[in-house]
Amino acid sequence: MSLIPWRKKHEQADILPAPALSSLRSEFDQLFDRFFGEFESGFPAGTEGMGAWLPAFEVSETGDAVTVKAELPGVDPQDVDVTVSGNILTISGEKREESEKREGVTYRCERRFGRFQRSIELPTAVDADNVTAENANGVLTVRLPRSESARPRKVKVLAPK
Amino acid sequence: MSTAMERQTQPTEVTAERTRTRPTYTPAVDIVENQDELLVLADMPGVKAADVDVQFENGTLTIHGHVHERQSNATRFLRREYGVGDYHRTFQVSELVDAEQIAAEYVDGVLKLHLPKVAQAKPRRIAVQGK
Repeated sequence: MSLIPWRKKHEQADILPAPALSSLRSEFDQLFDRFFGEFESGFPAGTEGMGAWLPAFEVSETGDAVTVKAELPGVDPQDVDVTVSGNILTISGEKREESEKREGVTYRCERRFGRFQRSIELPTAVDADNVTAENANGVLTVRLPRSESARPRKVKVLAPK
Repeated sequence: MSTAMERQTQPTEVTAERTRTRPTYTPAVDIVENQDELLVLADMPGVKAADVDVQFENGTLTIHGHVHERQSNATRFLRREYGVGDYHRTFQVSELVDAEQIAAEYVDGVLKLHLPKVAQAKPRRIAVQGK
């Protein structure tokens, strides 16, 4: 399973001086991500026998938590596994085909099924004991609070006396 | 035998332009026809059941799902592989569908539509009388 080198991009964005340029750039990055994300899910690499689809992810961070969302339409919440090991978050599960679908003439067959597994590296240390996950309307939301040591802290600057 | 989905092979375009500029996505669908009905399954993650709008008029089936913005603009995104926008799709279905009896359910991000065929469209077995 390949880890996603998102950190590299993130660091590049920080170096850019002009905010307007950096936001344009990150929009382009997203465009590429979305395009190659689809590409990737069409040809899953390194997922031997894992099936033919990879769900799309969205990773965002705020001061006190990292939030990972995954589009999992048609996946029973009972079939989803979320594990945190160190700073690696792994989401795996299975999308099962509806049994009533099997008989009949198929006109369209665009949806994908099977097992999937994805691991991502988290940007900071997280408090693994307080991770929450919920699946609503086919979107899995995993909230990972930052560990106490990784929270941003405001440092007061003292004026010299 | 004519099938209810006969004229559906050409995807129809959205005829009217949408007034809002939000991105619209085409949900992936499976369509299966059996003896009694057409079954349409559409992957529409992130929509609330109340925001799914299904219309059947003059043989045109329209599926629309309105998606609310999931996070504020202040959030810093590290990775975005899917866009957030409405879902829209239109199909041309023959009038052999009983419009009154169409049933829809939405579970775990999947819209399931049952379009029952009218009695005359169902295959009938004719008993052959022997003497």
